[in-house]
Amino acid sequence: MKESRTGVYVCMCGTNIAKIVDVEAVAAYASALPNVVLARTYKYMCSNPGQEMISQDIRDHQLNRIVVAACSPNMHERTFRAALRSAGLNQYLFEMANIREQCSWVHSDPKEATEKAKALVHAAVSRVQLHEELESMSVDMCPNVLVIGGGIAGMTAALELADAGNNVYLVEKANHLGGNLARVDLTAPYLYSARDLLTERITRTFNNKKIHTYLQSRVSGLTGYIGNFRATIESLNGKEAGNNKPDEVEIGNVVVCTGYREFDASRIVHYGYGKLPNVITSFELEKMIRAGRIETREGKIPKYVAIIHCVGSRSQEFHSYCSRVCCMTALKYAHEIKSANPESYISDIYIDMHAFGKGHEDFYRKSSEAKTLFLMYEKGDRPVIHKASPKDDCEMLIEVNEKLSGEVIEIPADLVILMVGMEAREDSYEVARIVNISQDKEGWFIESHPKLEPVATTTDGIFIAGTCVAPKDIPDSVAQARAAAARILARIAKERIEVDALYSEVNENLCSGCRLCNQLCPYSAIEFIEEKKHSHIISALCKGCGVCVAACPSAAIKGRHFTDQQVLAQLDGLFVAG
Amino acid sequence: MFIDELDRFGAEDVQLCYQCGDCSTVCPHADEVYKFPRKSMRLLQMGLEQKLETTLEPWLCYYCGQCSEQCPRDADPGETMMSLRRWLISRYDFTGISRMFFKSRITEVLAIIAVALLTGAFLIYYGLSGGSISIYDGEGAFLPSTFIHRFDLTIGAILLVFLVLNAIHMWYLVMIKGTPFNVPWWLYLKELYQLPWHFFTQKRYADCEKKREHKVYMPWLLHLGLMLGYVTMLLLVMVFIEQLQAGPAILWRVHIFGYLASVGLIAGTIYFIRSRFKKHYIQYKKSHGTDWVFVTLLFIIVVTGIAQHVFHRTGLYEPANITYVIHLMSVVPWLLRMPFSKWAHLIYRPLAMYFSAVRREALMRQVSILNSYPVVVK
Repeated sequence: MKESRTGVYVCMCGTNIAKIVDVEAVAAYASALPNVVLARTYKYMCSNPGQEMISQDIRDHQLNRIVVAACSPNMHERTFRAALRSAGLNQYLFEMANIREQCSWVHSDPKEATEKAKALVHAAVSRVQLHEELESMSVDMCPNVLVIGGGIAGMTAALELADAGNNVYLVEKANHLGGNLARVDLTAPYLYSARDLLTERITRTFNNKKIHTYLQSRVSGLTGYIGNFRATIESLNGKEAGNNKPDEVEIGNVVVCTGYREFDASRIVHYGYGKLPNVITSFELEKMIRAGRIETREGKIPKYVAIIHCVGSRSQEFHSYCSRVCCMTALKYAHEIKSANPESYISDIYIDMHAFGKGHEDFYRKSSEAKTLFLMYEKGDRPVIHKASPKDDCEMLIEVNEKLSGEVIEIPADLVILMVGMEAREDSYEVARIVNISQDKEGWFIESHPKLEPVATTTDGIFIAGTCVAPKDIPDSVAQARAAAARILARIAKERIEVDALYSEVNENLCSGCRLCNQLCPYSAIEFIEEKKHSHIISALCKGCGVCVAACPSAAIKGRHFTDQQVLAQLDGLFVAG
Repeated sequence: MFIDELDRFGAEDVQLCYQCGDCSTVCPHADEVYKFPRKSMRLLQMGLEQKLETTLEPWLCYYCGQCSEQCPRDADPGETMMSLRRWLISRYDFTGISRMFFKSRITEVLAIIAVALLTGAFLIYYGLSGGSISIYDGEGAFLPSTFIHRFDLTIGAILLVFLVLNAIHMWYLVMIKGTPFNVPWWLYLKELYQLPWHFFTQKRYADCEKKREHKVYMPWLLHLGLMLGYVTMLLLVMVFIEQLQAGPAILWRVHIFGYLASVGLIAGTIYFIRSRFKKHYIQYKKSHGTDWVFVTLLFIIVVTGIAQHVFHRTGLYEPANITYVIHLMSVVPWLLRMPFSKWAHLIYRPLAMYFSAVRREALMRQVSILNSYPVVVK
């Protein structure tokens, strides 16, 4: 190997770093370290002149190792790697020392912070000496896509992908497309008909030759890795008919759009759902509205209608999250009931009115103008529904501890509508297991980054969209579906996919074939080769997390870019400085 | 529903309120015990009539309009408080007349015209039966001052009976029905000074400017002038009418008050009529029908009163007698209308200040008694 020539760059980050850490002292310290050719400070290393400085120095001073002491590598590692590449240096011959999050932002004593910064820089310099030139590899990208779930999100993703000319396998559990949206009449706040939204999607889906729709089917298996998956699609009704031959399809990416199910209202005993005949759920009301008549079980037009929000949502007992669509849907019901029967009185019993979206606040105001009586209850203090006595002119009485007035009041009701929240589907665990993605404590699928990667998952090639991720409304579901489709189309357009060079490797000569690592791998990236009796890591699936490296009793597995020597050198540097 | 009924009293936008509480924050008078306008708006939205009729909050508001300027939802809390005052006047009034007037302007105008015509007929009949139209006072006068004095006292007595009965009703609603804790009798004595204090200074109206950057004391001053003028005039008419009407020599010790009162009345009336036309303050943006009846009638009274005085002084006895009849034709319905109209606030407002002070004291006493108990009750 060539002689090491290391360049060290200490960033001031404006004053973020420089106000606590003496950057000049750190640079002076670094320049005295072995193999360091130069050490500089600069106001913003991540700026274009900052990056240019690195590239220029690489060319002028034949640098072959770079250390940047700045912020977290999460923030700018990619930026500086690009600077190395542009100067013709392998991007892995680079190391960052985090002297902002780990120093200037968390320490108040400038002297000690500067000492710590020196130690971190020393560690980085020691480590970078042992860095190896790594090459990322690329694999073929199969342009076919599997979409699981035929609701509004699934169909939208499928159409977007198929319209671009790719084969899409759309798998739906029910015997029709449309999902939960097919159970709804009008949508808030613009009162578009759900049927109109859906029929266009459904017709286009069925007419599109590139979309292969599997109704009453499920995905029973998925193997392979990004660009090269193989999925098994199994018919659900075929089991009885005896025609049980699963389809095997080749795909490159998967979009999971399995949606939600509604909360079971009978779990809240206060509301008497299932016992009082005129306490119904929002979906039961939708059914009535679609049939064209809002009436009680006895066939009477209800004079007093009460709508109760947050049934199953925003409570510690059931689900702590907000289901996001119920507030506007409740206002929509107030509007629909009032239009159907102007003589009716509507009370809307809520915890907080969440009117966050476009047009929502205006819709709320309209509902106020229509004299809907809004009553606020405390989260833990749910209203109680009783049967009214014969002398009252209503069916039921609802006792509310009204928070804004501080009064305990009873309001009359002939029909009570429970705004049931969303929850993860009963089979979400099975789906998550098959496509190898994670779920949170409520059962929702977890995105790879909640802000910056809202539709990707930690498994490359598996995307999530719609209400299987978290409760959301139609525009958000559609936006996510299209986002997932766009991500996939961008990858298909490239034809091949780059796989990060940071994966682990098994040294076949050392592997004893104990298979301990096979079960431990969180990404199912390790396969066992029977004929050779040793384990093998599929590099496209491996994330380089290092679990297998730590677990291997024979020390046969090497984490690339995280070798034992590199980590020990880093520690040495840290302690020498300290 | 109650909220629909209040529409007729002027509270048209109350359902828009979403209880953010901005109005109570900006209000110079709201405090921990009397939380208005927010709380009053809420009780109204929820239709809690029985609760509302026992509250004093509407009377604690002088309608500076800062809440309505601030309201993010244009729910107009200031106007709502005004409407609640109208509604409370109709509630205190056990005859139901006030309710009719507030809900229908036509009924009110017809009633006023009827009373005016009756008064006119009676006065002309009386005048012609015993006197001459060309004699103003003394022997053979058209409307002798002794007769007018008796006439005024009769009207005053009727007025007083209604006002006292309504005030007792108000006391019952507020202090008995709406006060769930014990009020010791001596608190009524201790706080009694509140009545004349608020009646003659209207200090709380001046306090409306407390939270403003640029303080405008004009509405308060004019309102005070109007009120003092009105009360002085009432006193002159009821007690000193014989000296006031007598001529030809002017009794300056009586007349000077008459002139001062007239100035107060004219300035106040012109200012408030002008404001209702120009709508340059938020509180004059919306005028209820009864507001117009009130200012118009007041205007007629003032103009005919002055005209009558001028004619009398210049020796034009015939026109003096005619304008006197017209003057009385508008004064009588005006006075009789008082217990049923907005003008009843002359009595209710100071009473409300008094009751609110008594109630606050009693509440504090109750709280301190509760706090002295060793056990904390949750």
